[in-house]
Amino acid sequence: MSSTNEIRKGVVIRHQNDLFVVVEFQHINPGKGAAFVRTRMKSLAAGKVVEITYKVGESVDIVEVEFQTMQYLYKNGANYVFMNMNDYEQVEMNGDLIGDEAKYLKEGIEVIVGLFEEVPVSVQLPKKITYKVVEAPPAVKGDSASGNVTKEITLDNGLKIQAPIFIKEGEEILVNIETGEYSARA
Amino acid sequence: MSTWLDLKDNPRLKGIYDTRLKIIKSIREFFWSQDFLETDTPIAARYPGQEPYLNPMRTQIHNPSGAAFDFFLHTSPEFAMKKLLAAGYKKIFQICHCFRDEEEFGGRHNPEFTMIEWYRAPGELLEIADDTENLFKYLGEKLGVKKINYKDFKIDISGEWDRKSMKEIWKIFINVNLDDYLEIEKIKILVKERGFAVCENDAYEDLFYKIFLNEIEPKLGLEKPIFIYDYPAQMCSLSRLCDNDKRYAERFELYFGGLELANAFGELTDAECQSRRLNEDKKLREKLGKQSYPVDKDFINALKSGVPAGENYSKKAAGIALGVDRVVLLFSGAKDINETIFQSAKDQTEFDE
Repeated sequence: MSSTNEIRKGVVIRHQNDLFVVVEFQHINPGKGAAFVRTRMKSLAAGKVVEITYKVGESVDIVEVEFQTMQYLYKNGANYVFMNMNDYEQVEMNGDLIGDEAKYLKEGIEVIVGLFEEVPVSVQLPKKITYKVVEAPPAVKGDSASGNVTKEITLDNGLKIQAPIFIKEGEEILVNIETGEYSARA
Repeated sequence: MSTWLDLKDNPRLKGIYDTRLKIIKSIREFFWSQDFLETDTPIAARYPGQEPYLNPMRTQIHNPSGAAFDFFLHTSPEFAMKKLLAAGYKKIFQICHCFRDEEEFGGRHNPEFTMIEWYRAPGELLEIADDTENLFKYLGEKLGVKKINYKDFKIDISGEWDRKSMKEIWKIFINVNLDDYLEIEKIKILVKERGFAVCENDAYEDLFYKIFLNEIEPKLGLEKPIFIYDYPAQMCSLSRLCDNDKRYAERFELYFGGLELANAFGELTDAECQSRRLNEDKKLREKLGKQSYPVDKDFINALKSGVPAGENYSKKAAGIALGVDRVVLLFSGAKDINETIFQSAKDQTEFDE
């Protein structure tokens, strides 16, 4: 058994005989009384999401997951293919398990893949990823006067986001993966 | 996530910060219009609160000859404001920054956060609930918001809000009569029955919260805000016990879509009882290995002199602490607390990386 201090995004917890991967966790302090950890976890079998709250210090059944740095290669139908940088072994992971963050994947980036019994169960992306802008409509005179301070641009992996009007085609920019928004010029 | 660069280039984050500034201005307008006085008390306090599970930030202040004095950045202005009640102030409010160490950087917390507290002496807990409801309705008018979008909920603040006792809530959501589980041995059995772990050293409130946080809190205030009042006496903190049932204490919390916004007390003004509770909390802090510091005797003296002060001595006093960052989160549609704060702890530490 492990302690609640070891709960992190991507760890796998056995709860009532099912395995769940932690997608979000948050310490909460109800004021009087000890602190708790509220987790949102996704069932590895059914994909359904549950919320479980543990008291800090309570023992939790965290199962061993191996974390490996891997490179994202390409999408294969509903699956995403990653390559272990050490032995060039490839693994595939279903898009449902990766969730919404799958849209930020871009060929060649390095991510951390959690493997449970050699099966990938989680992917952690960098906090910020650099993309090349492949489409950005030119800023029109009077834009900022009429309140249009952002515009939609397209990035080299097909992702569309809002960016400041001064961003031009061919530039490299950083996107904040937590918010999915423009962060800065790269 | 809200740095000067974000505010410059990201109109969504700029909008959230603008909403924050407007909310703070409107809170002041509301309380001044209700004849409250805005008070101003030190952030660095010699003797902070004794809440066993909060961690005040220690600092040292030196005089010109180099002698060091221990101070703590306050976790709440509560003691200082109650001293002002003892000095004769009757309706006071204060918006200030509070500090709690070892809290999450982001999500629903930042170690430095903004709080509004207000007190009525004389005053009843119900009046504080009315103030709270009126304040949110005033903010809603100023910001043109009738329904708050939070997570997947649309929470209507314009109609009459929900008010239910803790006992009623347990009956509604888990069909349990809380009266039967007010002792530690009894609630321990209930916690086990419902499939949660029981540890050797769990206090009553730990056991209570295992059920409350898992099975009840996420369902509170999904359609309209709800006040939950009358907490078990074991969780009385700085509140008085209910006149009609001493097993419960005069305390309420306010919930929006499972998010706790405020904690209010019918204030405990019995100096002897307060002194005893603070000393018990101090002992528990020591047992838990937390920083130890003396109980604020000046606070106990203030209660002895009388709160409310003067001819209202025999009447009740009531007060509340409301998290301003969370109010901004609700009204602005921010994704988390970091987006409501300029240069949150997370922003500043990530900049170093």
